[in-house]
Amino acid sequence: MLKRIQLIFLATISAWTLAAGAADPLPTGMVRIPTGVYRPFFRAATDAKEIPVKSFALDVLPVTTREFLQFVRAHPLWQRSQVKRLFADDSYLKNWSGDLEPGTNAPLDAPVTFVSWFAARAYAESQSKRLPTVAEWEYAAQASPTSANGENDASFKRAVLQWYSTPASQTLAPTGRGAANFYGVRDLHGLVWEWVLDFNTAMVTGDARADGGVDAQYFCGAGAQGAQDPDNFPAFMRYGFRSSLKADYCVHNLGFRCAKDL
Amino acid sequence: MKTLIYSTAAFLIALGNLIADQSSTNEVRRSCCLAAIAPEKPLTDKSVFQIDSSWTNDDSQSVRLSSLRGRPQLVVMFFASCQMTCPLIVSQVKQLEASLPAESRGKVGFTLVSFDSTRDTPAALKEYRAAHSLSAANWTLLAGSADGVLDLAAVLGVKFKQDAQGQYSHSNLITLLNADGEIVQQFAGLNPNRDQLKAEIEKLTKD
Repeated sequence: MLKRIQLIFLATISAWTLAAGAADPLPTGMVRIPTGVYRPFFRAATDAKEIPVKSFALDVLPVTTREFLQFVRAHPLWQRSQVKRLFADDSYLKNWSGDLEPGTNAPLDAPVTFVSWFAARAYAESQSKRLPTVAEWEYAAQASPTSANGENDASFKRAVLQWYSTPASQTLAPTGRGAANFYGVRDLHGLVWEWVLDFNTAMVTGDARADGGVDAQYFCGAGAQGAQDPDNFPAFMRYGFRSSLKADYCVHNLGFRCAKDL
Repeated sequence: MKTLIYSTAAFLIALGNLIADQSSTNEVRRSCCLAAIAPEKPLTDKSVFQIDSSWTNDDSQSVRLSSLRGRPQLVVMFFASCQMTCPLIVSQVKQLEASLPAESRGKVGFTLVSFDSTRDTPAALKEYRAAHSLSAANWTLLAGSADGVLDLAAVLGVKFKQDAQGQYSHSNLITLLNADGEIVQQFAGLNPNRDQLKAEIEKLTKD
């Protein structure tokens, strides 16, 4: 008898869990980005014009210093004094006062910066998440506050452009102050640059004309790239920026946010 | 002397294992932790071998990059079905191998790591080894997971991208690692300076 009650109890619990899971499969702080298509800004003649983006979850906000502090507490190998040089250059968490003291130059609510790609990946993994791909990031970032595709929204484009032409301030503002975009994601523009999983697939060779310039021999099959939308200056900036990065670089205005498969 | 220390340590560990095995056969973790204090030096901060991902060679063995430890390695990222620059780079590295003085040859390894986790199966790599006559003694051919490839490419500074036809665009880069897996020098392009490469290898394989 007791066993039967236990069984019923268990069944109820699992049914309840399943129902809850179906209603809200997203971890806290993430939103669902629906399936869509990303049109790469730069592509070679052999590249696909459109890259399908499968529905995924994306952090609403960039990872904050507070969150990263919890991570390095739990994973001492990622503390400033212990990190391996292979995985982060000597600017790693440079604005912090100590291993576990962010201090005044790294406000807890501001996005964490001075983090390498490896550190960002390790953080994401610790949360059972991952970094978004270029396609996912760009796809989510083209949404304006009112539309999934802000390409034709002049005021949105102007606001984004304005940020790209404003030098970064010394101390970063807290996350969450930017307007939510169509999907509810904030601060994709206007606060920090962000690492993406496949940043090292951006292959701007310095000369996009297929004329066998100096750089052509350094790449295989990369001689035929062209910008798809010369008007999209911010996208161009991001491509240029990504192609200049190395995975151990830690930079004052480069943070990250996480994504997750659904 | 070093050898003596190592063999003593190995003996002690073996002894420890034996004792551990006898005292508690159920304690599975015991052997793992003893292995962890193996007499090997820890990897240096800048060693590429710190990447802990698992790779598969053309003999279908699962290996870590740290298995390359012990002699300098020339590392090239490639994919076996490449019709463009990869065969060129591989043939250049082969020529370099042939041109090394006898005392250096055999003291340096050549490692090809594939971008193509899907198509470069152990069989495909084996075929590649045969087609290009890459000696078993000196050449290692590896394929890994997409994540492992991303990590290694990031560490080496190799950029790559798969296009719609499944071909990879990628940097042409030859990386020389020392015996500890630290990057000594990188040579970009299709026409790396062979004399300089040779000189660097000879420097590393001198003693």
